[in-house]
Amino acid sequence: MKLHEITLTVNDTHETVSVPAGMTLLELLRENLYLTGPKEGCGAGECGACTVLLDGRPVTSCLVLAVETDGKEVRTIEGEATDGQLSALQQAFIDAGAIQCGFCTPGMVMSARALLERNPHPSDAEITEAIAGNLCRCTGYESIIAAIRLAAERGEK
Amino acid sequence: MIGTFDYVRVSSVKEGCALIVAHNGSAMALAGGTDLLVNIRNGVRSPDLLVDFKDVAKMNQLVTDETTGVKIGACVPLNVIADNRVINEHYRALAEAARSVGSYQVRNRATLGGNIANASPAADTAPALLILDAHVDISGKDGTRKIPIRKLFTGVKKTSLRTGEVITDITLPPVGPRLRSAFTKKQRVRGHDLAIINMAGYYDPDAGLLRLAIGSCAVTPILLPEINLFADEPIDELVRRLNDVAQNAISPIDDIRASAEYRRGLVPVLLHDVLSVLLGAERGADEAA
Repeated sequence: MKLHEITLTVNDTHETVSVPAGMTLLELLRENLYLTGPKEGCGAGECGACTVLLDGRPVTSCLVLAVETDGKEVRTIEGEATDGQLSALQQAFIDAGAIQCGFCTPGMVMSARALLERNPHPSDAEITEAIAGNLCRCTGYESIIAAIRLAAERGEK
Repeated sequence: MIGTFDYVRVSSVKEGCALIVAHNGSAMALAGGTDLLVNIRNGVRSPDLLVDFKDVAKMNQLVTDETTGVKIGACVPLNVIADNRVINEHYRALAEAARSVGSYQVRNRATLGGNIANASPAADTAPALLILDAHVDISGKDGTRKIPIRKLFTGVKKTSLRTGEVITDITLPPVGPRLRSAFTKKQRVRGHDLAIINMAGYYDPDAGLLRLAIGSCAVTPILLPEINLFADEPIDELVRRLNDVAQNAISPIDDIRASAEYRRGLVPVLLHDVLSVLLGAERGADEAA
């Protein structure tokens, strides 16, 4: 099968990889780069567990081909912590008790990250809209909304 | 791996169309991929080659001009349309429709061209584009042509595009400052489902003219014949009158989302919502959300 050589930036690291056209960005991240934070839930862009930032915008990485990301910048949950220190957003998720089974959390945090970048003081309605594409079957969402509100109130990134 | 196809990124429409023609029907145009890649994964589509048009500069432009109207490149993501000031102010139905598609993540990838080329009867932007009298610029190996969007949809997932033709732009005519438009839809779960029914309306108060389009209730989105308003006709009577017209125009089916009967039952509800937004201030109805 024909391989395409692509170069992309993942969490500030340049990566040059050879990928078949039929490989998704999610597969590249998980299986070639061993970044297993993004999860595959539905594989159809509905659950949001695979959400990553592509050139700063949240996308479902199961619906992006790896070959489409040549020259682009990707951020995953693995890029949140620095030097072993959780980001303020991650800490807010813990402080608000916004994690139960944890499967949705990496995608949820990335959607929240993108929201706070474009709107540092979102209303609850704006938070709800931003995470409408991220399914959580444990929390009932209230604690997740509280976590994002808390991160915004703390005003930290 | 979702498939065994190959991939080419092109920088010109001509190059992309030529590749699709050369592959004799086994190549497909790729825009956002939010429908196509799911269909490939599910085995509904099995192209040998995907031709990615997202690097074609003119297909990524959104140009707004108050005298000539709006030109939206086929690869412009729906979030860009939903956030555009001019579209929100003058073509509100399209901004609302774009904002209602899928989730925020999906709208960062999903494109206007893809939404209409996919030709789902439930495509949310279709009713909005129908009432706004959008035109579609099409390129192929024999050159370019322009058609009104009502001539694009021919059946479930079927369009009048020929092999090797792609949509390059969608154009909207200029509108007067008093013109209003609105979009609404009913769906089971926000962010995760297609419309059970969607509807867009357009009202030109100077001409007393109303246009309505309904989606998810026939094999294609349906544009109702233009309606002349009677002076002082109350909204409730107008809903009754238009409901009769709409019920004759649609042919909904039972599917996993809703029954045909439920869809028919929702028509007057959505009519009331849309008409309240379009006419509310003049006809004394409550402004709908």
